[in-house]
Amino acid sequence: MSASLKPTAPAERAGQQPTIAYDGVVKRFGSLTVLNGVSAEVYKGEVVCLIGPSGSGKSTLLRCTNGLETVDGGRVLFDGGVVPSDQELIRRVRQRMGMVFQNFELFPHMTALDNITVGPTTILGEKAASARERGLALLDKVGLRQKADAFPSALSGGQQQRVAIARALAMNPEVMLFDEPTSALDPETIGEVLNVMKRLADEGMTMLVVTHEMTFARRVADRVLVFDHGRIVEAGPPEQIFENPQQERTRDFLGHLGWNG
Amino acid sequence: MEFDFSPITDNWRFLLRGLELTVVLSLATMALATLLGLAVGLGRLYGPKWLRVVLGFYVDSMRAIPVLVVLVWTFFAFPILTGVTLPPFWAALAALTIHIAAFVSEIVRAGVTSVRPGQTRAALALGMSGAQLVRKIILPQAIVRILPAYGSILSVTIKDTAIATVIAVPELMRQTETLAAQTFRPIEVYTTTMIIFFLILFPVTRGVDAIYRRVAHLGQS
Amino acid sequence: MNLDWGIIWQYRWDLAHGVGITVALTVLTMLIAVPGGIAIMMLRQSRYRVLRGLGTAYVEFFRNVPLILLVYWAFYVLPILTDIQFSAFTTGLVALSLNVSAYNAETIRAGIASIRKGQLEAALAMGMSHSQAMRKVLIPQALRRILPVLASTWVSLFKDTSLVSVIAVGDLAHTALQIRSQTFRVLEMLTAMAAIYWALGYPQAKLVDWIHRKYGVTE
Repeated sequence: MSASLKPTAPAERAGQQPTIAYDGVVKRFGSLTVLNGVSAEVYKGEVVCLIGPSGSGKSTLLRCTNGLETVDGGRVLFDGGVVPSDQELIRRVRQRMGMVFQNFELFPHMTALDNITVGPTTILGEKAASARERGLALLDKVGLRQKADAFPSALSGGQQQRVAIARALAMNPEVMLFDEPTSALDPETIGEVLNVMKRLADEGMTMLVVTHEMTFARRVADRVLVFDHGRIVEAGPPEQIFENPQQERTRDFLGHLGWNG
Repeated sequence: MEFDFSPITDNWRFLLRGLELTVVLSLATMALATLLGLAVGLGRLYGPKWLRVVLGFYVDSMRAIPVLVVLVWTFFAFPILTGVTLPPFWAALAALTIHIAAFVSEIVRAGVTSVRPGQTRAALALGMSGAQLVRKIILPQAIVRILPAYGSILSVTIKDTAIATVIAVPELMRQTETLAAQTFRPIEVYTTTMIIFFLILFPVTRGVDAIYRRVAHLGQS
Repeated sequence: MNLDWGIIWQYRWDLAHGVGITVALTVLTMLIAVPGGIAIMMLRQSRYRVLRGLGTAYVEFFRNVPLILLVYWAFYVLPILTDIQFSAFTTGLVALSLNVSAYNAETIRAGIASIRKGQLEAALAMGMSHSQAMRKVLIPQALRRILPVLASTWVSLFKDTSLVSVIAVGDLAHTALQIRSQTFRVLEMLTAMAAIYWALGYPQAKLVDWIHRKYGVTE
């Protein structure tokens, strides 16, 4: 494997412990190998975008990060420790990572505010009043304070996804995992979600984003990982990936999307 | 043909007492069957393998045996086997509960499995435990989703209480039989009772549907 | 406790006869109630408001009264209304058919209503005639929704036939209850009755599950 295939971290990170590290991760579904030895590191404050064709393993890697999927080979490390498979221990890890889903997965029987406070109150044992106050502040942050008492069914897709982001942030996570957060949205609401994500990135949040929004990846990512057939075929800063891709597969993929730099 | 409804107007208190017992038996059965059915349904979903097999056998058996047979067996055969005699009302309550709970457990199971797997993932990603996931996320949505089916079970329960007449529980059906036999006016008496049952059951099913329409969105993830 | 399970063997032919009546009632009722259900469903689609109202009233009424009451009602009222003395068996069959037809009408209506309007439009847009669209597109889809529900109704009906025992139709329940009161072998006979219903009903319930898995439509 040539050196250019190794994900390169920014120089100033050298010697620092990565927040998340994938070490030869293998994942199979039956006879299908969806992750075939994936290695990468994510450092504190970095925004890493995972791109590549459907079924190339990006979402699966994201789910392996917080133990929603177990790995069949290799290791996932978080904050220097292996992500455990034990149900009690993995909860601790999950509480430190926020996750945003393609289909929002807001809880339909709770208002927007309750969706945000349910984690802190039931899992962290936070007092209802303080959770409520923080919840409202988070709704403010995503621009939806006035929708605090609305049920998800009364919100547009973009609004639901912004609430979902606030729900994840309410746990004060160290890392945010985004699994195609705009894929289920109407074109006109994609922007509002991406803006919230951009602001989060500017604040220094460590983010892993599986996305098909190349413009977002180009503008916001510190590094881009290109997936194909369960492997990372190329990794590097967005300038390299989008303007000077080193690998044939990367050029193919971007070409299919009509990306021409 | 001449109709004479005076047996009913003269004896409306007699029928009313029956109606009261029908309502009490229905509500008591429904309350107990809901608790038992919830436990059985959750046991079949999350319990150990042996428990699932046992509960599955119980549920399928209740789907196979007529409620009349359960009722008659509980009242006449159970005391011989155990030496414990149940008064008719309690025998009816026990038999109906055991029978209806099986059907409640089936809709609980269907409701829980119909909640999208993404909801489970979202709750786990927040760091919830299995118990928190079931209590806070899955059950509230499942309950909304099973409302229409629960309404039909409520309606079936009210109708099934009429079968308790065969073990002489003095509910509406029994009182009707007695009154019809004493007054020799079966047409008027039975027709009146049919209308009474309809007037209870029709609003029940409609009411549950109306409630469901108002809350349906709370179960649609 | 002094039990004599030999009593069951002794009365095996009576019990078998009861089973025969139970099965015959189930089959005949369904044979009447499927066309009956279709007829009432069509009544509800009628151009005339009165007929539509009649169809709806029928379905709502017979679904919302206890079957055992309907059985008694048919027993006392039918002979007077029609001036014909029906046998207990026929009376039971009438009561069951009135009840199951109402359920079937609703099942069939819901099955057809569940097909999206776009399906008919798509078929017509291809150039199919209305009857071709019904035959080739709508009915096959509706059947997939109707058949599993009819199968469930069948099992309920099989169990509900036990209710006609109250007017002395010689079905399994009535036969077993009769033998019980003649011989005083209460525990044995009632347990045998439950066991026979179980043995007949359990495979049916399992078959229904299989049909739901195979043909059921998941939304």
